[in-house]
Amino acid sequence: MLRNFRLQPKRLVVAVILVSAAVTFGCESKINQPYSDTREVTDDLGRTVSVPNRIERAISLAPNLTEMIFAVGAGGKLVGVTTFCNYPVEAQQIRKVSDTQTPNIESIIALKPDIVFISTASQLETFMQTLEAQKIAVYVTNPQNVDEIIGNLRQFGTLFQSEGKAETLISELFRRIAEIGRKVDGQEKVRIFVQISNEPLFTIGSESFLTEIIERSGGVSVTKDVATAYPKLSKETALALNPEAIILSDSDDNKEPNYVFKNSPAFRNGKIFRINADMISRPGPRLVDAMEQLATALHPEKF
Amino acid sequence: MSSGLSNNRIKPPATACGSDRSLRLGGSLILLLLITLLAAALLGSERLSFFDLNDQQRSILFDIRLPRILLGACVGASLAVAGAGLQALLRNPLAEPYLLGVSNGAALGTMLAFAFFESWSFARPIFAFAGAGIATFAVYQMAKGRAGMNVERLVLSGVIVTTFLSSIIVLMTSLLDAAKLRGFTFWLLGDLSQATIDGFYFTLAAAVVGTIVLSSQAKALNLMMIGERDAFDFGVEVGRVRIIVFSLSSILVGTAVAASGSVGYVGLIVPHLVRLAIGSDNRLVVPFSAISGAIFVVLADTVARTAIAPRELPVGAITALIGAPLFIYLLKRS
Repeated sequence: MLRNFRLQPKRLVVAVILVSAAVTFGCESKINQPYSDTREVTDDLGRTVSVPNRIERAISLAPNLTEMIFAVGAGGKLVGVTTFCNYPVEAQQIRKVSDTQTPNIESIIALKPDIVFISTASQLETFMQTLEAQKIAVYVTNPQNVDEIIGNLRQFGTLFQSEGKAETLISELFRRIAEIGRKVDGQEKVRIFVQISNEPLFTIGSESFLTEIIERSGGVSVTKDVATAYPKLSKETALALNPEAIILSDSDDNKEPNYVFKNSPAFRNGKIFRINADMISRPGPRLVDAMEQLATALHPEKF
Repeated sequence: MSSGLSNNRIKPPATACGSDRSLRLGGSLILLLLITLLAAALLGSERLSFFDLNDQQRSILFDIRLPRILLGACVGASLAVAGAGLQALLRNPLAEPYLLGVSNGAALGTMLAFAFFESWSFARPIFAFAGAGIATFAVYQMAKGRAGMNVERLVLSGVIVTTFLSSIIVLMTSLLDAAKLRGFTFWLLGDLSQATIDGFYFTLAAAVVGTIVLSSQAKALNLMMIGERDAFDFGVEVGRVRIIVFSLSSILVGTAVAASGSVGYVGLIVPHLVRLAIGSDNRLVVPFSAISGAIFVVLADTVARTAIAPRELPVGAITALIGAPLFIYLLKRS
């Protein structure tokens, strides 16, 4: 009963917004009809999405996607982002519609987006259906490895008609990755433990893209065979793994390595490295920066 | 008064304690605890060869595994004794710290201490104690009706306090710095992986003192189980006993939750099984619950540590898996 009462005003607001949006859009479309053509694109989940030829109003529901859209020069088209979208600094000025987990459907509808971007990393699959029910175009990215993460830039280039800029960026990023690969090639792989949080002890597992990032930066993750992407690891196992280096995803609750590592080779040799958590945890263009930092830390003599 | 409590299911004790049988039972329980501790020490995500430990294996055993096992034992004892005390006082077999929202009160206190007094290490158990105490008081005030306190009323009051506190916890995690409180989502389900030897000493002290003091009130609790007015006629200071039991259970739950999050249903399962075995004389139920609670949580945590090794489960998920069906069974019978 209470729930129904609470929903009523919300529904009313949505209805009013929808009606006014329809009226406004209806008027505009009469004038703009000959120019507002749509095209069909396919996203990472194989869904066909119908988008306007010129996307003018985009919403990003993931910080890595916000970074990508800015990277291809289309940041100006973003009308809504998440509270986590703090990079580049311009992104902080954009209207916040959600905190990656609970997007506000009303704010999104009110912003009249041509397209909304979702990353599978944010697990917003159910919200995707809510948006589709409102006839809002949803584009989902789902990269499976580093090449596909960078490949996402090409899709953004196509969507925002800045293919040239995207291609230049992509070849530059791949050039830098190849450069890292050339330098660390033949070097002994450093055995790395990635600490995502100190207490409780979370790390990366076989399904995390970071396992590959480490591999391509001259290291090997000691937890690469542990199931899932971000497992909570037994401290006994962590201690027994004897990592040669520890990478801390640098955030408030993860400033120091866990006490179980106090006798590890990593601790004894001072091989504790902190990498900006946003940089290393987001499957976006700055991953290459993280790779460079990582490779330099692991093989300083080569850089 | 006792007529209004006809659905009370904890029968007053009929026999005296201290018989040979209870001594034997106590002895075998202690033996069982020792065997459980030993078995738990032998099991873990890393295999240890106990005849020839190197430095690293010694560190695994003494720095990680043993503190965790011992903390688990103290947490189990504390929660079981708190449950036994609340059940005797409220004359209700479903009175359990987790189900009454007492654990949630302690959890909220711990989170507040962590958010605002992070540098002060004693803040966590003290705030947890305060949270548990306030939650206990709130449930008691709500459940206490003109017609006495029946099972349904108490359980419902517990549900209300639990959900209210849960929503405050959710609010806190949404409003406060996400990274700072991120670890709490796992901890809230009951997690012994953050055991330290200092935390163990603190919880041990609370468990031992709590068990002894509550045992000293057992005679009064036995009389109160017949009815508070009858107990009063026998010279029991009902109000004083009530304050002692509420404070003790708050201290026990507070220290347990501050160390390991909300491990649920221990205070329900353990005293229930103890009463099944030896009857409801609190002079036996309280100490036997302490030992059995220790055994139960150490076993549950051994499953949590080893079931999907090297990954881990929250121990609270294991205890709830066993406890929730038992709760339904008890509710159906009452």
